[in-house]
Amino acid sequence: MSFMEDLERTERYNKLAIEYSEYYKGKVRVVPKVPVRHLDDFSYWYTPGIAAVSTKIASDKDLSFELTGRWNSVAILTDGTRVLGLGHVGPEAAMPVMEGKALIFNFFGGVNAVPIPIRVKSQEEFISVAKALEPSFGGYNLEDIESPKCFTILETLQKALNIPVWHDDQLGTASIILAGLINSLRLVGKRMEDARVTFVGAGAANIAAAFLLDAAGFNPKNIILVDSKGILEPEREDMDVLMINNPLKYQLALKTNGDRVKGGIPEAIKGSDVVVSAAKQGPDTIKRDWIKAMEKDGIVFALANPVPEIWPDAAKESGAKIVATGRSDYPNQINNSLVFPGVFRGVLDARAKGVNFQVMVAASNEIANFIEDPTPDNIVPTMEDWELYPSVASAVASKTVEMKLARKTGTKQKFFDIASEIIQENRNIYMDLLDRNLVKPLPGVRKND
Amino acid sequence: MTENIVIRRMKAEDLDAALDQVIRLKRLNAEFDSIFNVAEESKSDFRDHLNEALSDGDRYIVLVAEAGSKVVGLVKVDIHTRLYYKPKYEARIVEFYVMPEYRRKNTGKLLMDELYRILKERKIRLITAEFPSLNLIALGFYKGIGYREVVSVYGKMIEDDE
Repeated sequence: MSFMEDLERTERYNKLAIEYSEYYKGKVRVVPKVPVRHLDDFSYWYTPGIAAVSTKIASDKDLSFELTGRWNSVAILTDGTRVLGLGHVGPEAAMPVMEGKALIFNFFGGVNAVPIPIRVKSQEEFISVAKALEPSFGGYNLEDIESPKCFTILETLQKALNIPVWHDDQLGTASIILAGLINSLRLVGKRMEDARVTFVGAGAANIAAAFLLDAAGFNPKNIILVDSKGILEPEREDMDVLMINNPLKYQLALKTNGDRVKGGIPEAIKGSDVVVSAAKQGPDTIKRDWIKAMEKDGIVFALANPVPEIWPDAAKESGAKIVATGRSDYPNQINNSLVFPGVFRGVLDARAKGVNFQVMVAASNEIANFIEDPTPDNIVPTMEDWELYPSVASAVASKTVEMKLARKTGTKQKFFDIASEIIQENRNIYMDLLDRNLVKPLPGVRKND
Repeated sequence: MTENIVIRRMKAEDLDAALDQVIRLKRLNAEFDSIFNVAEESKSDFRDHLNEALSDGDRYIVLVAEAGSKVVGLVKVDIHTRLYYKPKYEARIVEFYVMPEYRRKNTGKLLMDELYRILKERKIRLITAEFPSLNLIALGFYKGIGYREVVSVYGKMIEDDE
């Protein structure tokens, strides 16, 4: 696709997004799920009968997961400080994006996700609002929060709360990167513990991915991160600033880069088996010559959107064997949406109290194994692979049971069945609404187009 | 990584590494409080001052921590004469820095132990440390090793309309 075609495509989508948003005025709604045949029914859905349910929950708060919809409710929390590539646009402007996320949560995972953009002035205030909302939800998905604030908020909430807290920009991206790498390494016959991995860009996603790779069995000394200030290493001049403002990046500077490579992106990439780039848009952020200096059968994930740091063709012509991007119009789309609906389905079904790197590794392995015969152009599933979501859910749920993070118990098969049923039922309801035009067809588009 | 840390007096050949660490420390101070923004253009003066400290062992003590052949930490002390009070001499720590990967590995303690040994030898019993009030890392460190607040210095920038 040429640059002009690309631009035209983006403009067409922009125009449709505004037109459809005006028409539908919101993407998700609350619809009752219990029968109301006559007014008497309210006597148990509401007063006076419902008081008995409240009393029961008051005596055991975990019953809120069994007697209300909390078990399937997720809050999508954002302060609107880093929305897509737009930056700090504020909570109101973040809403359309969060609604879109809620739609994906529901469509693929059968999760009732509630978009909640909040107006807060500090990370402390964010944390305090999130803590206050915990009783209403079975999990939190943090979204589009600027770095490095997002790290502190995630870490603090994960420690403080008894529900799983996920920051998709970090954890979702990291999980799908790992899944893609597992299959890529299988294809080129290299082992995790030997692979030299270079992360170009040290933002939320790559920092989380570096930690996840460490948890999965990669050798941190074989990992290098490089950002706008150069390669991360223990003697870098801004180490003290990082120690205060970005402790996770500081930790990575101490534990990665065993060979103490210094310099910029080319020095970092030289001799790598894998390059994962989540950096400045391309197409020349990563140059052909740099890819040529990689080890044989190089694996290149160029994830900047919409224009990857190097075009896949250019990377392959320079010797890369496997290339992935963030785009759906090229093979191997590294897409968070393959991860979070299944992960949340799983933690919700297990009534998990938390989520950690081991659970993420289980999710990544499940996603990788979903591809039975990986090829260089097929290392990760696509969003059309419906079976993927209950599979990921079952791997996640059973891992939380194993790690004693779950309130429920069960086998992987049992959790697969539960997840499949919930997702299927949700889909049936939705398809029925579509069939009956209760979800209105897109304006100007015939129904079956 | 700290298995072979040696603490010794700074030598002329350590100047570059010592200067680098002093500047790192000053930049860290600036992170906490903009009143300590570093005069980057005056680096040659910083160097001259370290050189002076090197040559005047009566007024200054500069110790370095060495790992392999690398300087990985330093402490610089200025010796003050107290006109009004007893004891007469005060050793004031003005620079104290350990490279990131040698932190939490006893390097700081080794530097302090050697400093105390030298001070005792010179019969200097009062030791103080000077650091920006907002540098909470330094505050925590010194409190943790038994120091208490003994002097306060307050400041402000004078605005044009004052």
